[in-house]
Amino acid sequence: MGIADARAMHPSIDIVEADPEADRRLLEGLADWCDRYTPLVALDGADGLYLDVTGCTHLFGGERAMLDDILARFFQQGFDVRAGLAATPGAAWAAARFCGDRIIPSGEEEALLAPLPLAALRIEPDIRASLESVGLRTAGAVMAAPRAPLARRFGASLLLRLDQALGRLDEAVSPRLPVAPLSVERHLAEPVVLTAEIERLVEMLAVTLKVDLERRGEGARMLALLLFRVDGAVSRIAVGTSRPLREPKLIQRLFHERLTALEQDIDAGYGFDLVRLSVLAAAAFDMQQADLTGETEDDGADIALFADRIRARLGDNAVLKAVAVESHLPERAVATIPFSEAPQRTTPPKKPDRKDAPPATIFPPERPIRLFRSPEPIEVPATEMPEGPPLHFRWRRALYRVTRVEGPERIAAEWWHEAMSDPVTSTRDYFRIEDADGRRYWLYRQGLYGNPQVPPRWFMHGVFA
Amino acid sequence: MATSAVARETVFALRRQIAKIEGTLPERLAAGERARARADGNAPDLDVAPDITIIRRGLAVASPDAFLPTGVERLDAALSGGLPKAALSEIHGLETRNAGAVAGFVLSLVSLILKGQALPVLWIGTSEIFREAGFPYAKGLQGLFGIAPEQLLFSEAPKLTDALWVAEEAAKMTALAAVILEIRGSPHRLDLTATRRLHARAQSAGRPVFLLRQAGEAEPTAAPVRLIVSGAPATSRRTIAGPLADSIGRPAFTVSIGKSRTALLGQFTLEWNPDEHRFEERRPENSVAVVPASRGGADPAPAPGTVVAFPAVGSFAAISPTAGNQPSRPQRPAHISPRRAG
Repeated sequence: MGIADARAMHPSIDIVEADPEADRRLLEGLADWCDRYTPLVALDGADGLYLDVTGCTHLFGGERAMLDDILARFFQQGFDVRAGLAATPGAAWAAARFCGDRIIPSGEEEALLAPLPLAALRIEPDIRASLESVGLRTAGAVMAAPRAPLARRFGASLLLRLDQALGRLDEAVSPRLPVAPLSVERHLAEPVVLTAEIERLVEMLAVTLKVDLERRGEGARMLALLLFRVDGAVSRIAVGTSRPLREPKLIQRLFHERLTALEQDIDAGYGFDLVRLSVLAAAAFDMQQADLTGETEDDGADIALFADRIRARLGDNAVLKAVAVESHLPERAVATIPFSEAPQRTTPPKKPDRKDAPPATIFPPERPIRLFRSPEPIEVPATEMPEGPPLHFRWRRALYRVTRVEGPERIAAEWWHEAMSDPVTSTRDYFRIEDADGRRYWLYRQGLYGNPQVPPRWFMHGVFA
Repeated sequence: MATSAVARETVFALRRQIAKIEGTLPERLAAGERARARADGNAPDLDVAPDITIIRRGLAVASPDAFLPTGVERLDAALSGGLPKAALSEIHGLETRNAGAVAGFVLSLVSLILKGQALPVLWIGTSEIFREAGFPYAKGLQGLFGIAPEQLLFSEAPKLTDALWVAEEAAKMTALAAVILEIRGSPHRLDLTATRRLHARAQSAGRPVFLLRQAGEAEPTAAPVRLIVSGAPATSRRTIAGPLADSIGRPAFTVSIGKSRTALLGQFTLEWNPDEHRFEERRPENSVAVVPASRGGADPAPAPGTVVAFPAVGSFAAISPTAGNQPSRPQRPAHISPRRAG
């Protein structure tokens, strides 16, 4: 029916454009919320959700109670939901769409499916049409027909769907989110609103979590806190640690920083009625023997925890570590990487040994102590010689008079990386320069003289002490 | 207990009195005594309690390892033992383009702190300052100050509030050898309260916090010491054959004391020795004093420093090179040395 026809029938009709993206987001939001029942939630097309509740029903008082709870909560949120519960995804799909709120005991799938139309088998429309054209109009008729001619005529997918629905073949429901190896949760009779209460709950949950982690000999590398709001919204807050962690107090402190940083973004609304703490990634936990005063040798633990807290509050790049890289280009020779990704040292650092130290070059090239992230262009009106250092230069609108110069030091581009760049224009000649006020700079000229198309350009790359 | 407190109070009152008569700061008396004792070389009676320095109004007493000696005698004496180790110290650069010198000076101090320990150093900066003045370059730091890349942690905060929060958290840690907080300008957020918080945390942790303010103005802060650092022209490289002409040698800094409870204001030119990792005070190479050594040549007041190359200009031939830094005029404070004119 077109809009014009609809308007002719109901002049006051409200027209809203279809927005599949928003529908999808809504469905994903609902899937997040369904996480409260089971960690295995999968999307089914544009309008369905699979919940694998194996082993979860007893937590909610049995299958019937769980189904009623799901339906009631969805109804309260304003959704019209139909549900079916069965031993196979196919049977549950058919029960939800064609029977309504039924629980199919294991083994009764055939009785359920037999009277249902072919659409209940989840088959392609053209297969369905051709089945109907030969007079097979219900699932029961298809089940009664001999299998070999069916497979030959309608393809293997029909029998696959049939077998899956009847439980003869296993069907895997792929969950939307990876299943956390460990998670603990607490249902609350009275929803919590205050951040301080959430933090206290985190610590209580972490105490429970610690027992499980200890049993597995592991510590958490990544933790997620899921806050289920009464009206169905779910907040997911993740923190990473740079070392395996299991101490409840420390976990609580990490979440404290994260919650403080997110204070504006988390809308408690009417409160959260379920709080879950999951370990998303775990790693082996090295036990450190404490000495008699109760302190361990591990001196990096403080730093690691400190870095984690900064990271929880300000993001992954808040604490950086410099790592030397095998490259002669100054800007590539040092990489700054997030602290958590830096190679960890579990043993205390060794005292530098003079004998083991690599032989230093007699005159190592002098490098500046600060380097600009991107070299800043400077104006050089005149040089003493064509290939020589500048006499004056203008940087950030100020004119500098050069009093002393050391150089040039030629640094060529890495031709094995940049196949396209021209070796002549990307060659740099570096000069150490001191200005009249005693400030020392690192300048370079990119390109060579004598090329009329590309004149050399000058850049400021760093400052010396 | 009460009597001893009263006695101490009396001693301090007397000390203040003496200081007033002598025309110096009362806080410097203890250091002065010690320095004198050291100069005499025979002061066993003073060695009974030699390691006590009065820091503030005689109320707090600290041992000398509360200070980080710079190794430059005049500067240490002016600061009565060096920079406080468990405190906030402000290092100012008057312009952002001095950031290299300011950072170099602070890293020299860090290098002095790090001698013999492997604790990491945290350098916190706002995104603004790292963009304007350049990000610290680990290769250069290793070569010049001997700070290994794995000992350095950087924290870049987009906002000053975040940088201050990180600094406060870091100042509490004893697992860090030093904390450097670098900001640009004189923001309102970094007021007396914020610096007091930093200072208190540094005191309780016993670790130094260096507050680098590029292009900042002198504002009231809780830091006991403020140094103003700028670059100084470097000397030529020294070779066996003598100074190498037109070369740029060791990094040099001009350090002036902007604020100190114990020191009078003064200016020093320091040179960092990257091989031995220590400071050396620059002796003026030429003896052209800012203030004329004498008027009309009648008064051969000795010029400071050693006369190296050309001794035969006028009355300079008669100058004894050992005269040290005697003031050439009575009103000139002893700790301000004549500087190179250029």
